[in-house]
Amino acid sequence: MKKAQVRRIIVSGIACILLMAVSAWYSITFNDSRLVKPMDASEYSFQIRDLPMLISTILLILYGVYLVFLLVRAILDEKSRETQMQTTRRINPKYGFFGFFGLFYEGKLSGTFMDERFRENQMKAHMKANQTAVKIIFLATLVLGQGKLIGNLEYTLIAFVIIVALSLALEVFLGEYLLYRYDHDDRIEESEE
Amino acid sequence: MSDFECRLKMYRQLKNMTQEQLANQVGVRRETIMRLEKAQYNPSLKLAIDISRTVEAPIEEIFIFR
Repeated sequence: MKKAQVRRIIVSGIACILLMAVSAWYSITFNDSRLVKPMDASEYSFQIRDLPMLISTILLILYGVYLVFLLVRAILDEKSRETQMQTTRRINPKYGFFGFFGLFYEGKLSGTFMDERFRENQMKAHMKANQTAVKIIFLATLVLGQGKLIGNLEYTLIAFVIIVALSLALEVFLGEYLLYRYDHDDRIEESEE
Repeated sequence: MSDFECRLKMYRQLKNMTQEQLANQVGVRRETIMRLEKAQYNPSLKLAIDISRTVEAPIEEIFIFR
C-alpha cells in the first residue's frame, strides 16, 4: 500500500472521529443528548437537530465497512502472492517465542524452496490441523450443548467461546508444527548418493 | 510400504549427476530426489516427465508400479 493511500485512510478516520465528537457535543449541548444517551429506538421520531449525529454515524459506519473491505482485499492479495511465491516467507523464529501460533516453526522453515512435495506436505499438515480443530469444536458443542455440564447458560457460553478461540489458535499452531515435522522427519533420513 | 519401485538412482548415476544437480534441473529440493530414490514419494506426472527427460530414460523404466 502506498504512503499516500495510508495517509488518506488515517486522515479519513481522524475526520470521522472528529465529526462524531463534534456531533456528540452538539447533541449533548443543544439536542437533549438525543442519539447519545441510550434510547428506545421504537419511540424514535426524526428531528432536524438529529442530522449531525445521524450523518456522522453513517460516515463512521461507512468508514468501518471500507476498512473491512481493505482488510479482505489485503488478505486475498497476500494469499495469491503466496501461491505464486517459490519460497516460504522469511520470518525470524524469535518472533514465535514459546511456539505461539506456529511462528516459531514457520520461522524455522523460512526461505525454504517450495517444491511439489513441500506443497503436498503443507496441504496435508493444514488439513490435519483443520480436522483436529473441527473435532474439538464439534465435541465441545456436543457436550456443552446439553447444558448440564456447567448448569449456567452464561458460563456455558463463556466456556464455549474460550474453547472455540483456543481451537482456532491450536489450528494455526498445528498447521505450521506438522509441516515442520513432516519436512524435518525427511531430513533426518537424508543420505547423499 | 511403497507401491512402486524407483530406479532413479541407477539412471542418475549413469548420467554422473548428483542428487543436487538433478534437483536443480527438475526444480525440486534435494530431499525430494532422495525421497524419490527411496520410493517414499509418488511424484506428479510433470515431475516424472521432467526427470525422465533429464536422465534420458523412459518413465516406465524409472518408476515401476506394481
